[in-house]
Amino acid sequence: MARIAFAWEMGGELGHAMACNSLALAMRARGHHVAFIFRELHSLTHLPVIAAHDVFQAPVSISEGEGQPLPSSLADILLGCGYDRPQHLAGMLAAWFAIFDRWKPDLVVTDFSPTALLAARVMGLRRVTFSNGFSVPPRLTPLPAFRFDQGVNPEKLAQSEARALATVNGALARFGVAPLRALAQQLETDEDFLATFPELDSYPNRPAAGYWGPRVSFDAGADVKWPAAGGRRIAVYVKQSMRHIDTLIDALAASPHRVAAFIPDLDPARAAKLRSPARIVSERAIKLGPLLRDCDLLVSHGGNICPGALMSGVPQLVFPTQYEQFLTAHRIATLGAGAWVGPEAPVADVVAALDRLANDPSFKRAAQAYAARYPGYSPAEQQRRILNRLDEIIAKPARPSALPSAK
Amino acid sequence: MGHEVTMAFRDSAFIESSRAEGFETFIAPLLKLQREMNPSPLNFSDVLLNLGFKDTRGVAGALRAWQSLFDLLKPDVLVAEYAPTALIAALLARIRRVTVSAGFSVPIFSDPMPDLRRWQPSDPNILRALDDRLLATVRHAAGARAQLLPDRAHALFHANAHLLCTFPEIDPFGPREGVEYLGPPADSVGGADIPWLNETAPHVFAYLKPRAARFDAVMAALATLDAEVIVAAPGLTADRATALSTPSMRVVPGAVNLDLVMQGASLCVSHAGAGVPARAMAAGVPMALLPLQLDQFLMAIRIEQTGAAVISNPEQPAPDFRAWFTDVLTEPRFREAAKRLRESHGTHDFGKAATRTAARIAEVAQR
Repeated sequence: MARIAFAWEMGGELGHAMACNSLALAMRARGHHVAFIFRELHSLTHLPVIAAHDVFQAPVSISEGEGQPLPSSLADILLGCGYDRPQHLAGMLAAWFAIFDRWKPDLVVTDFSPTALLAARVMGLRRVTFSNGFSVPPRLTPLPAFRFDQGVNPEKLAQSEARALATVNGALARFGVAPLRALAQQLETDEDFLATFPELDSYPNRPAAGYWGPRVSFDAGADVKWPAAGGRRIAVYVKQSMRHIDTLIDALAASPHRVAAFIPDLDPARAAKLRSPARIVSERAIKLGPLLRDCDLLVSHGGNICPGALMSGVPQLVFPTQYEQFLTAHRIATLGAGAWVGPEAPVADVVAALDRLANDPSFKRAAQAYAARYPGYSPAEQQRRILNRLDEIIAKPARPSALPSAK
Repeated sequence: MGHEVTMAFRDSAFIESSRAEGFETFIAPLLKLQREMNPSPLNFSDVLLNLGFKDTRGVAGALRAWQSLFDLLKPDVLVAEYAPTALIAALLARIRRVTVSAGFSVPIFSDPMPDLRRWQPSDPNILRALDDRLLATVRHAAGARAQLLPDRAHALFHANAHLLCTFPEIDPFGPREGVEYLGPPADSVGGADIPWLNETAPHVFAYLKPRAARFDAVMAALATLDAEVIVAAPGLTADRATALSTPSMRVVPGAVNLDLVMQGASLCVSHAGAGVPARAMAAGVPMALLPLQLDQFLMAIRIEQTGAAVISNPEQPAPDFRAWFTDVLTEPRFREAAKRLRESHGTHDFGKAATRTAARIAEVAQR
């Protein structure tokens, strides 16, 4: 039995917690002991099966996002998340050291957790990334840009890398640890479980890499069946805080389509407006697996669920709320398998997009053609392979810690 | 004393220094703050509802994370400094609890918990509704363990000992029963030694935040006083400190040695944070107080009640600061009231307050 710590440090979506939970449950079933070290503890209560895991707060900067311009690379993101000053980063690193030192993981599974990776590197811990790729840029110097729709000045990329690296090395020096040559070293792992395929990768210029396919678990949640009415079958997985929530609910309520919706903590007035015999509004996460088999459209923000459902040949309407989701949405639109509506788009665009995606068969054809490229993929097979690879990594000999004193 | 001490802080910026002092230090479970905060919470429950206690899921997650930390560390006692979720988690885990504070984070234990602004009329039904909402959130978040919780909101925050590291006169809700006043501690951070130079002029010491809205106006008035002035303004740049200094006013961009500067001071200007007013009280120095937030305002009112201070209310138009300072410097009644405070607290040993507090914590731990 090994001790597996799951770390989620940056990014704000429930999908991070859901994806970690699915893998964690499988690891627990193999007899391993699991801890979640998460930035948002709020998300945990959407996962009723976590009672047997240990749960800790992930160290985060309380000034996160303040005073930083729009990020273009992971280095920019780091600068806005405590990597602007060695003292900030040293505090977060010290907190990771404390939790790793006490909990003693044999393996750290990270999802958008660069500081956890750095702490694990210093302590000689086995570590992997498990993500859709956005948080794992190709290990180049400087770290490449993910932003593609605006020109990114190469000098600016190099400056951001240099600033973040200086902070990292300044923080490491406070612990008596040797400096890194490049940020890419911070991201070195025993394995990257790139949970996507090349067409949807946030970094389309990534050098040769292994892809493991989308990380989704569609077999947990409330059992829901499509209502026995007419119309298309539309699954809705969005947040109430999205800009177009009322427009979307109005459009769905006025449509002839069947709906299965999970909108966390949806207020009763909105739920009442959407709910009808043809439109299910679930208060719990929905078990999507059975629904996707004959689903005509998924409406989401572009998180894990979106590329996951695409593997079932389901077209996508995406309301991205941040750039990572926008990248996914853009690539799905490029495939012809969906469309996206930005937060600033006029109301009419929401109604038009919903109508077009529900009625134009080309989207479904494109989605099915994409899914057909990966006939060997299934979430269960992906998980089986990941678990086997993790067992190999856990069996590797431990490395020495570079930390002079762990306390 | 030989005890093993582990820290958990909400702000990771303090973790490195704590670790450097030899303490194993974790990040505390965080609640998710609301996007829009109520700027004028009514009572203690309302303060907490404002700081994340409306979010049942968030509270449930934080309670779960505290439980994991307790499982890992197996503490004999939890020492909480404005850590309400930790107090509730320790209650659920049946761990002994001690609060250490300057008073604001320990509510008045009544049903309902009273209006923070005791001078204004309040509707007990509204206060009770706030308490009920807080209690309902916590009970829901505690799930199956809700049966271990009390049926009154204030009882969530009871402890085996409430150690108030302050004087009763400046406890925002004091003086009161059920707490122990151990007196204010010494500063954890030492400051620069800035001696008074002019033996004949009045000595004005100001401890100010450069980000305060009225900082510039206060500085301008201080510069015109017929007095020798020392200003400590941590956060100010060295260049700006130099630019603001005059032959009679030295501006220091950091902390100063309070023991030294209070000796012989005629007036102490501050925002009524916990540390500086206590020093002024023990040294018998009249005060001009510029509170920036509610806890400071409540403390400022308590000091004003002693007769040794005046308050500038941040929600009202600023006074003519020069005339305001001069009034406190020249009116004998302020000096007389300050002298009475010195007679009560002049022998307080700031250096031993922390040791006394630690000894009381150890007693609770070993019960």
